[in-house]
Amino acid sequence: MTDSRLRPFPAALLVTGLMVYPFLDHWLQAQTVHAVTDAMIYVLLALGLNIVVGYAGLLDLGYAAFFAIGAYTMGLLNSPVLGSPLYGHAWSFWVVIWISALVSAALGVVIGAPTLRVRGDYLAIITLAFGEIIPVAIRNLGDITIDVGGWRPVERLNLTGGENGVNPVGRPYLPGVHFDTQFIPWYFLILIIGALSLWAMNRMRDSRLGRAWMAIREDETAADCTGVNPVKTKLLAFGLGASFAGFAGSFYAAKLSAITPGAFEFNVSIMLLCMVVLGGMGSLKGVILGGMLITLFDRILLAQLTFLVRWIGRALGIVTFASVDLTLWRWFFFGLGLVIVMLVRPEGLAGRRVRPPAVDVDEREEALALVAAPPRPQAEAIPSWLREPGASRTSLTTTPVLDVRGLTRRFGGLVAVSEVDLVIPPAGIVGLIGPNGAGKTTFFNLVTGLLRPDHGEIRLNGESLVGLKPHQIVGRGVARTFQSIRLFQNMTVLDNVRVGEHCRLHASVAGAVFRPPAVVAEEARARGRARDLLGFVGLGDKEGELAKNLAYGDQRRLEIARALATEPRLLLLDEPTAGMNPRETDALTELIGLLRRELGLAVLLIEHHMEVVMGISDRITVLDYGTRIAEGTPTEIRQNAKVIEAYLGKGYEQELVTG
Amino acid sequence: MSETSLLELNDVHAYYGNIRALKGVSLSVARGEIVTLIGSNGAGKTTTLRTVLGTVRPLRGTVTFAGKRIDKVPTHRIARLGIAQSPEGRRIFAPMTVLENLELGAFARTDREAIPQDLERVLALFPRLRDRLGQKGGTLSGGEQQMLAMGRALMAHPEMLLLDEPSMGLSPILVETIFEIIRDINRLGTTILLVEQNARMALRVAHRGYVIQTGRIVLQDAALALLRSDVVRKAYLGEK
Repeated sequence: MTDSRLRPFPAALLVTGLMVYPFLDHWLQAQTVHAVTDAMIYVLLALGLNIVVGYAGLLDLGYAAFFAIGAYTMGLLNSPVLGSPLYGHAWSFWVVIWISALVSAALGVVIGAPTLRVRGDYLAIITLAFGEIIPVAIRNLGDITIDVGGWRPVERLNLTGGENGVNPVGRPYLPGVHFDTQFIPWYFLILIIGALSLWAMNRMRDSRLGRAWMAIREDETAADCTGVNPVKTKLLAFGLGASFAGFAGSFYAAKLSAITPGAFEFNVSIMLLCMVVLGGMGSLKGVILGGMLITLFDRILLAQLTFLVRWIGRALGIVTFASVDLTLWRWFFFGLGLVIVMLVRPEGLAGRRVRPPAVDVDEREEALALVAAPPRPQAEAIPSWLREPGASRTSLTTTPVLDVRGLTRRFGGLVAVSEVDLVIPPAGIVGLIGPNGAGKTTFFNLVTGLLRPDHGEIRLNGESLVGLKPHQIVGRGVARTFQSIRLFQNMTVLDNVRVGEHCRLHASVAGAVFRPPAVVAEEARARGRARDLLGFVGLGDKEGELAKNLAYGDQRRLEIARALATEPRLLLLDEPTAGMNPRETDALTELIGLLRRELGLAVLLIEHHMEVVMGISDRITVLDYGTRIAEGTPTEIRQNAKVIEAYLGKGYEQELVTG
Repeated sequence: MSETSLLELNDVHAYYGNIRALKGVSLSVARGEIVTLIGSNGAGKTTTLRTVLGTVRPLRGTVTFAGKRIDKVPTHRIARLGIAQSPEGRRIFAPMTVLENLELGAFARTDREAIPQDLERVLALFPRLRDRLGQKGGTLSGGEQQMLAMGRALMAHPEMLLLDEPSMGLSPILVETIFEIIRDINRLGTTILLVEQNARMALRVAHRGYVIQTGRIVLQDAALALLRSDVVRKAYLGEK
């Protein structure tokens, strides 16, 4: 958050430097502006790719395709000679650049839509194929014949200029500015486009949308179960990422004044990906640095080095050196550099260091640890905003909060959950116990929409949940935690909770970028609420830490805070006290009781700690081999012969007595 | 310390991530013993196990196994010296069958002919695994995965077994079973270092115990004495 804001002095220096540089270059006759401008195009592309790969975690190996689409949109609409149906209608650069971005974004969504169900390797292969298809299509669309039935065939239609490409492409027109003879206007134009893009990306990252992207990257299932719509979020990443390629492509076409399909091959996609990885995935500064380094090395340094090596070769009389052309070795140096960076600094040049400076285990904690209990949750600490809707929830209606009837789910021949009924009254706490593998977690997955029931009914306050997606079910008021903690590891504690608020916030993409007062207020409220919740669960002083750096018990509490942030009516807790010591367990049990008492929250609890389940539940349902073998009050369950045999064990009674 | 000790940690200091997790841990496990290490989350229990296996290296101090310094020996070689671990979180190979998982446990062994006999021994300890030999590891329930992880560790025919939270996430009846099995394994001659959150059960099966608190051993005694000690009763057994 704060790392993106430069301090005023270096920022002023940077701006002045960028403004003065081209004139200085001109004065020194260094002639590097042209190369730097090109470098900035690739930086803009890398920044767009960073949205897809760095933020949303979707490996895209064919991003150059969107670059091509942007460039050809400019070429087709803004070329006076092209033999296409658009002949003679060279539109202004200033209009077409927006059209290019829109076309790229639209194609990004179209390509994204069918591929979103796949991830990782599969998605990479599909994008790779797409990256190959686009240049081939562009080559072949230069000479096609359309012959439909009885219609007069359209012969030898040239849509894209084929292998020859489009030449010339119209240049931007501004009174008094010579885009055709000078490089400096181009430099400033891409500087402005780049700065605006960076500004927009920065704001998107620090918004509801940016947090959703990162949540998807960290753990898609957990994000879905926290109220983030994964399909919409990923499509937005693809679409917005592609739109920046559209800008870059149309600028590239106009600057070069000619485009050929060869400029958009696979190696461009790979080079862009390398820029992102080299700089540090997800870091805007890093990507800029990575992009600049790679292009400038290629365009300037390599040529200069060639001269140097040749000069040395001639001086020393080494023939091999005297005739060398290092630019032919560019991929070699490039690969070597990448290998070295990945070995020495795998998080990228500007990536967040994996290890923050060493800290000692808290000495105060050490002194207290043996005697003091962990902080008890306080009723007064419950955020008032969480309380308000709660009051209406506990209205005197008798409609059960959760009403499950005949729920059944099979996996192949195995019936994981079979004809299970379960009812939770308002403000009720129901325990769900049973041997390992009895179907408890499957039951949770059915209620939260991760799995579809084969048959049976699930109603929340009378409304059916069957067929809804997990994030929709979160929206209806069901929140959950996971058996094995599933936090967004590389996000801060505060952001983890704010992802929980996602489904209660409304900012759109435009809202995230332009931040009208309503969005500013909403963000401030979200931050305030997240802090309230963290204070309530006892993590108030840890909001800036990465979730993965928290101690185990703290991670469990953070997961509960994240679930509460969705403002649930029903909370599903999957073994919340697993791995906790007795005192932490006590504190958590108290917290659950408090949520019911103060907020009227209904709770469904899977738990193996019998003192917790027996102590807190109103009623308990026992599953074994997917069927309900018992249902009743804790006292009834404790004495039930079937339950003792299948689950509690004969030693259990004795355990209770000897304590 | 005692001459018969199989494993010995002497003044071990170690970092785990950015946290100074161990600040001079000394403990010893004699041949044939079950020793338990109890403590709260983040106290350094798992880090202690990791320094034994070499996945975390001590900054200071020594780790000795069977009279040989192992704190600079590569992890895979430590495993071959006769230490096996059943890791926390049951890291089994999910796409492989139960039998394949077990066979992998014996991967580093040179006495091939003794393996079938050990497989039989493991399946006798865990009869449930016998029913599921052809099933994929990932389709087992939590308790069965725990058994598989322990069984796989035993397939290495280790002199010493390190157990990290074997009771985590198991139903009460299975917790009892697992601790009975731990006792059986020990009776068959394997020395055990047991890290547990469930202090009561751990102290019941162990001969001796250590209490670790924020990176230091604060108490050590015979297991029964620890079970009766006030500090342990209050802090780890949850008694008021």
